[in-house]
Amino acid sequence: MDKYTLLALAILIPSLSAFLCYVFNKPWVRNVIVFVTALLMFAVAGGFVYQLLQSGGKIEINLEDLHLPFDIEFIFKLLDFVLLAIIADIGMKRKKPLIVVLAIIQGVLLLLFELFGSVKEPHVAFVVDYLSLIMLLLVSVIGPLITIFATGYMKEHEHHQHLEKSRQPRFFAILFVFLSAMNGLVLTNNLSWMLLFWEVTTLCSFLLISHDGNEQAVKNGLRALWINMLGGVAFVLAIIFIYNALGTLSVEEIIRSKMTPVGLFPVGLGLLCFAGFTKSAQFPFQSWLLGAMVAPTPVSALLHSSTMVKAGVYLIVRIAPVYSGTTLGMIVALAGAFTFVMASAIAISQSNGKRVLAYSTIANLGLIVCCAGIGSYVALGAAILLMIFHAISKALLFLCVGTIELEIGSRDIEDMQGLFKKMPFTTVIAVIGMISMLLPPFGVLLTKWLALEAAVKFPLVLICIIIGSALTLVFWSKWIGIILTVSYHAKYKMEKLPLAMWITMAILVVAIIVTGVDISMIFKAAVAPFLLESMKGVPETILNGINGLWLVGDSGKVVGGFSSIYFFMILFLLFLLYPYLYRKSKAELLKPPYLCGANTEEDTKGLEFNAPADTVDQVIVHNYYFAGAFGEANLTPWANFIAGAIIMIMFGVVI
Amino acid sequence: MDIVILKDILTVVATIILAPFIGGLLTGIDRKITARMQSRSGPPIFQPFYDLFKLLGKERLIVNQTQMMFVIGHLFFAVAALAMFMLGQDLLMLLFIMAFSSIMLIMGAMSVRSPYSKIGAQREIVQIMAYEPVLILMVVGVFLSTGSFMIRPLFSDMFGFGKPLLYDLPLVFIAFIYVLTIKLRKSPFDFSMSHHAHQELIKGITTEFSGPQLAVIELTHWYELVLFLGLITMFFAQPVWIGILIALICYFFEIVIDNISARMTWKWMLQATWIVGIGVAMTNIIWLYLK
Repeated sequence: MDKYTLLALAILIPSLSAFLCYVFNKPWVRNVIVFVTALLMFAVAGGFVYQLLQSGGKIEINLEDLHLPFDIEFIFKLLDFVLLAIIADIGMKRKKPLIVVLAIIQGVLLLLFELFGSVKEPHVAFVVDYLSLIMLLLVSVIGPLITIFATGYMKEHEHHQHLEKSRQPRFFAILFVFLSAMNGLVLTNNLSWMLLFWEVTTLCSFLLISHDGNEQAVKNGLRALWINMLGGVAFVLAIIFIYNALGTLSVEEIIRSKMTPVGLFPVGLGLLCFAGFTKSAQFPFQSWLLGAMVAPTPVSALLHSSTMVKAGVYLIVRIAPVYSGTTLGMIVALAGAFTFVMASAIAISQSNGKRVLAYSTIANLGLIVCCAGIGSYVALGAAILLMIFHAISKALLFLCVGTIELEIGSRDIEDMQGLFKKMPFTTVIAVIGMISMLLPPFGVLLTKWLALEAAVKFPLVLICIIIGSALTLVFWSKWIGIILTVSYHAKYKMEKLPLAMWITMAILVVAIIVTGVDISMIFKAAVAPFLLESMKGVPETILNGINGLWLVGDSGKVVGGFSSIYFFMILFLLFLLYPYLYRKSKAELLKPPYLCGANTEEDTKGLEFNAPADTVDQVIVHNYYFAGAFGEANLTPWANFIAGAIIMIMFGVVI
Repeated sequence: MDIVILKDILTVVATIILAPFIGGLLTGIDRKITARMQSRSGPPIFQPFYDLFKLLGKERLIVNQTQMMFVIGHLFFAVAALAMFMLGQDLLMLLFIMAFSSIMLIMGAMSVRSPYSKIGAQREIVQIMAYEPVLILMVVGVFLSTGSFMIRPLFSDMFGFGKPLLYDLPLVFIAFIYVLTIKLRKSPFDFSMSHHAHQELIKGITTEFSGPQLAVIELTHWYELVLFLGLITMFFAQPVWIGILIALICYFFEIVIDNISARMTWKWMLQATWIVGIGVAMTNIIWLYLK
């Protein structure tokens, strides 16, 4: 298959499936569509991998070669305005003047730009390099997996809702449009087309967040919409400034141009970073992502892992080579590091599982932004690796929490005491997912390690990352401890999950382990070529042996490194140990926990004790949440204030 | 190449075998000194070893079937961290591996439905939150001073750096000794588990471990002790016996602190460690930047 067909398929297959899902109401037809689409999307992603390897690292797709019978640029522009009209209409219907105003501003700016700019569109409309390939793989592999999970999940979800008419056709249609827009966004080389895909994801996220239609859902959806529209306005302004300064909208040419203060070019870059901040929910824009939790779980999983928020960091990482080493880069790094530490701190005070995950997502995106801002070879490598590992782990964790919520009817961490007994399969998978977020030898920690070693020259950024990573340890270990609690004499009961749900989780957990073990291969195959291409004159290199990552300094001396493979072996040994220990433990040796000798006789959980006045009481222990020190209400206003100041400084620097 | 690998393997094997002897012996001396400070005669120096064997021989009582796995994980990762130190691996990654070891113990303590061990585990988490930033800052200091994250192997290439690290990192060293009090579970920071009898949480994080499990936890503690003293020698190490001597002096200092101070609350510890520990270490690091 040639590159043109592949490109068309990457964008059009999900769109077509969206249409089909919307038209056909029958559940089994929809399941078939979802499944077939997933396979096709995997195949297209595989096709791109093959094409890219064949062509030596870069595929340029020039649509002019095709001699299309219609003016595709005109269609894109038309779609832009249609989209803005739809958004303005939503704002009107929901009585949100702010959204209408933002849509109108965008529309007017775009119109002026088209009328007075006599815009020269770039010849090469789509470019696939290693970074876009990585993103494409994330979108086209994790996205469809989540959609497959959703076929099982939404059935249960609607079962709880008691709807008269299923709203699943709409739901799956939007999911697929979303994936299609994400594919377009990461492949396009034209900044103004990227804007269109960008805004499509904004609209889709509104529709998905408000999917359940209750008051809370609509409110949070609208918040997501206006915050991301704000980013959209920044994006349009950035397009105008950059075009005026450089005379091109080609992302490639923008990256190639050095950070020279030509006219308003630096301001344009700052605006692009701003747009990225809004989409990636960096402080002070984090509220929309937290609100997005009201949506059905597959939506959260999708928004948090491979799509939406990753679009923001993708843009920031994409343009990182331009501002690498400048003051703007430093401020971006600081903004990211600040988000990292604040989000991690607030996560400690949360007992709602999904909110913990949300704050952790914000924190990790902060770290990606921070690495992109530092912009050195190692830092940028860390940013890209973190994008990969975070996407996989976070997708899995959201699916786990969703599954748990369906089973126990709560997403509160305190309610997950003793989950291991009720849902052994989900618990083990969730624990692997959580460990992969915070401990070596898994990928996320390795990238955190790279980030620390890259940030060592910037004290302010460094201290944020150091404190942030200590805080990260706290909220994950609290949660892991809770779900692994097993009462004495526990009766394990295997949970019954729909095939679509457990198989997706199993695939993702395997993906975590495989990518974790193969980190050096991933780096060598996909990340290093991108870095070599985009960074001219590489000052430091990551030497990647067969068993881990090794950092080499200018002098050729090894600066730091880690052979992760041995530690995977230790973990594997431990895993094997469990069945052995289980068999060896004899029932008569099982004793209840110590309750000052006041355990009741017939208690099998080890919870009940003889209280004063011949009553029986239960032991209740909660985790520490440090609401006084890390409470959301205490920290958020200050964090928003400081983050706002950092953004002001960013614009102050570039103007 | 093969000889290098062989040497590495021998180093690791020797470490695994020898470290518990050193750690156990030091613990025995610790108990003796502590007893003398409290005007008791104290147990024999080899008492920790007698205790260990006694614990190993005890009935395998358990509260649930998963506990032992966590305890063994606790041991494995502590040993791995020590091996990384002996082989001169990445210092930062060593800290993360150490953190994994601690998290394993926390998971073990939280896996049972016991209020005492659960609260002990929560306090242990607070301790990690307190000392982890200071330890990472120590690594940063070492990097700024030597230009590398790799630890110089203890018994080879001893004179690699020229001057001792202490010249560059006096304040970082003080901060490190400060957080060492937390890691070694000494007063005033021994609130997740105390070596001394009777505290408000029974035996804190280790309440629900007994017999062989407790033996493994004790063994892990010995490995950790050796690792920490090794980290102290890293600051001097020229020649090696001076480093070892100073490490022992520091350990004695920790014992004195343990005996003259009362247990504090976790809030106090968190504030004190973050403000004093991070503040002191950061001061040192800032002048390294400016140098």
